Amino acid sequence: MTPALVRIRGLHKHFGRHQVLEGIDLDVPAGSVTVLLGPSGSGKSTLLRCVNHLEKPDAGFVEVGGEIIGYRRDGERLRELPDRAVTRQRAKIGMVFQQFNLFPHKTVLENIVEGQLAAGVRRKAAESRASELLAKVGLAGREASYPRQLSGGQQQRVAIARAVANDPQLILFDEPTSALDPEMVGEVLGVMKDLAAAGLTMIVVTHEIGFAREAADQVVFLDGGRIVEAGPPGEVLANPRNERARAFLSAVL
Amino acid sequence: MSLAVEPTDGVDTLDRRPGDDELVAARLVARRKPGQWISALVALVAVAALVHSVLTNPHFQWDVVRYFFLRPSILEGLLLTIWLTVAVVVSGYILGIGLAVMRLSRNPVLATVSFGFVWFFRSVPPLVQLLLWSNLASLYPTLSLDVPFVHHFATIHTAHLFTALLAAYVGLTLDVAAFSAEIIRGGLLSVENGQSEAAKSLGLGKARIFWRIVLPQAMPAIVPASGNMVIGMLKATSIISVLAAHDLLHSVQLIYEQNYLIIPLLLVATIWYIILTTVLSIGQYFVERHYARGKGGPAPRGLWEVARGSLPFAGTVRRDLAGLV
Ligand SMILES: Nc1ncnc2c1ncn2[C@@H]1O[C@H](COP(=O)(O)OP(=O)(O)O)[C@@H](O)[C@H]1O
Ligand SMILES: [Mg+2]
Repeated sequence: MTPALVRIRGLHKHFGRHQVLEGIDLDVPAGSVTVLLGPSGSGKSTLLRCVNHLEKPDAGFVEVGGEIIGYRRDGERLRELPDRAVTRQRAKIGMVFQQFNLFPHKTVLENIVEGQLAAGVRRKAAESRASELLAKVGLAGREASYPRQLSGGQQQRVAIARAVANDPQLILFDEPTSALDPEMVGEVLGVMKDLAAAGLTMIVVTHEIGFAREAADQVVFLDGGRIVEAGPPGEVLANPRNERARAFLSAVL
Repeated sequence: MSLAVEPTDGVDTLDRRPGDDELVAARLVARRKPGQWISALVALVAVAALVHSVLTNPHFQWDVVRYFFLRPSILEGLLLTIWLTVAVVVSGYILGIGLAVMRLSRNPVLATVSFGFVWFFRSVPPLVQLLLWSNLASLYPTLSLDVPFVHHFATIHTAHLFTALLAAYVGLTLDVAAFSAEIIRGGLLSVENGQSEAAKSLGLGKARIFWRIVLPQAMPAIVPASGNMVIGMLKATSIISVLAAHDLLHSVQLIYEQNYLIIPLLLVATIWYIILTTVLSIGQYFVERHYARGKGGPAPRGLWEVARGSLPFAGTVRRDLAGLV
């Protein structure tokens, strides 16, 4: 078995008095696709956002590629890293958002170039890589368009190209197709399947059970801040043991 | 004669339901708006009367205006007005950006300090500040820098420090800083949080996120209010004439105090202020257009199209004309 690229242990997070994550343990092997399922409010986004330190956990840790995210070990303590170090860690973890979050004042090309420039890539090289990626997501020739001139599906494909431009070792998807009109879901899932086939490690929050069945190596079911069921899609999706998981699946299928 | 009412020809054409084809073929006639034309006519007559009286009233002494318009002493004053405005706006906005960022920071001390600064300097009229700064000498006759073991390392006499010009520069800068901080803060708040989250997840550092992602998107909200503010400051610099600093207004005052040609000389200053304001407005137009990139809506119109569009009988008015005839 391949060693886990992502190791999450004892992760806790609360907002105010609301305990959102109550001890998450999860391994994501390198090159695998993990799909997170669960009802709204179960903590899927929060878990994903702890992985690239957009949220700080209260307890527990996330390790990616052997590095603890956001902290460094100091004897019995985990000390939070300076901004600069967190920034460097984030550069190696891509993220795709439900609302795309493309930079509206920048062209498609500039959107994909921006992260590369921050990582020290020369502009020329960054631009040719951006064009290459655009072609891969089926948007060759749209370099000079602004995000608002594209359809939702096209915008999300640009966002995916942007997220992979720095060759991340891991990419996080938070409901990438939930804001799309139904006829555009397929094109985005198609790009994601291509990435999975190319061996990228992905953690995907989605309600697209078809995608989970086809592309996932493991499916994880979250409820009330805990993992209540995890395993290969064949098992978890076909006959879930957990009652909540069963109810959720019969509702979305 | 039968009692049955025979439809007359006229009633017939009115009552007969028109066919859809006829309605489709019918020409659409816009509603007539005679009120619009009457009010426009009244306004035009009033403007014409005003212009006529201004041009022909000998008291305006347009020849005197022409004579003084480009005098070196006036141009010197003009130059001072321009560079004081530029200096005040540039340093004021640099401070304002800092204050806005402090106010939005998670550090409560910084946020409070910024709030206090803005509260104080928005409360004090610029003229009062100007007088305060220029009279600082009576508050702190000397500013001294004491280094331990070396008594009185350096001492500055404030009377020398705060010339009229410096007092104006400092006072107006603080004023611009306080007001621009609020304008900038409002702009920064208008940018969605998802933008900086996306930037963070791409591995952009804090400074990069601010300068390249957040601030450019805040600009469309910042620029219009700032245009007002810069134009206001251009005119506000005239308060330094109170301290006898040689700005545009003071340079005309010096002349009319000798020759008593008050109205034409004030006209000289007025025309210069109008010219400067016009230049600033044009600049604002281009800055706004620059930051509208990527926004939805129609393609940006050229300056000439905008100008022509707002001229009577040249732009939108022509469409109304069609409705009248
Ligand atoms: N920044 C926040 N502040 C307060 N509460 C939050 C915040 N983010 C999420 N929550 C709460 O945490 C819970 C889990 O949210 P989330 O992780 O977004 O769930 P999911 O993505 O599974 O729908 C929700 O009840 C939500 O209201
Ligand atoms: Mg969510």
